Amino acid sequence: MSVGHVQRAIESAGIPTVGVYVSAFGHVPAQMGVARALITPHPMGRPMGAPGDAERHLAVVRHALSLLERDTDQVIESFPDGYRPHSPTTV
Amino acid sequence: MAEPTLETVREFADSFFYGSRSNLDMKFLRDLSPTEVGDFFEGLLQHLATTLDDGDAGRLVDHVIEWQRHAYTAHLDGKAAFAYDDVPRAAMSKPLSNARVALITSSGHFVDGADPQPLGVVDMTQEEAERRVGEFLREAPTLSDIPVDTPPSHLRVRHGGYPVTAAKSDHNVNLPLDALQALQREGMIGEVHHTARSFVGATSQLRLREGVAPEWAEILRAEQVDAVLLVPV
Repeated sequence: MSVGHVQRAIESAGIPTVGVYVSAFGHVPAQMGVARALITPHPMGRPMGAPGDAERHLAVVRHALSLLERDTDQVIESFPDGYRPHSPTTV
Repeated sequence: MAEPTLETVREFADSFFYGSRSNLDMKFLRDLSPTEVGDFFEGLLQHLATTLDDGDAGRLVDHVIEWQRHAYTAHLDGKAAFAYDDVPRAAMSKPLSNARVALITSSGHFVDGADPQPLGVVDMTQEEAERRVGEFLREAPTLSDIPVDTPPSHLRVRHGGYPVTAAKSDHNVNLPLDALQALQREGMIGEVHHTARSFVGATSQLRLREGVAPEWAEILRAEQVDAVLLVPV
């Protein structure tokens, strides 16, 4: 909820925003009326992906930022790929 | 051995929520009914038994994520404390490829030497933050400035509301500085704003909404930020 309030305040000040929410809080963007949100199927505390999974972090941020240029009142999308724990030994 | 204690399923589940078995990855158990708690553990143990043979722990991970989601979404029943019908929305004033993009996360990160000292405590531990999370929920949050070129070894994270283990091992799980800088190099965004910000999301929602969040928005406007990536934990 905290970020929902911050997101609304920043939009109200004239700056576009996008939030990345884990699926456990996937209901928050619609409930709180935030302009743009990407929902990731990741566990709480790791909205970008597993530690060390730089490829996933980049894909999530890229997807989220792309929503900034959508010309719709509210856009809430889900990241398409499932969570993948990252083992340092598989780097 | 201590005398065995008769414990209800309710008490057992609740003990993971800041209780005797506190585990912030599993604190969602408090939000499940006793029957659901049984279903969660039955499924977990079935998956574990299968994993004994094939070693594929992915199903355990998926099981936990699915029940986290279920726990936080299945019992809302109109209980939402903050629900709004309107959608404040600003449009991009320039192409993303020319835009200055700022990052704000509720992760509880700060830079070594600039501890926000929550509740007036110097060098508060993660354990104390978890124990005193109820006090955090009554206070206004503090915004910590994080220069985007801060060496990872100078980053600290402390937050009583979520498991910080992953964020400690890699800040990018909820403070995605590396990805933003990569997208600047690639040209998708014009530039990463020089200062990222973090606060502890376990905070007074009313103080945040009424006073703090509008002040933060004004700071970003004064700094001529064109767009903001927000990361709740």
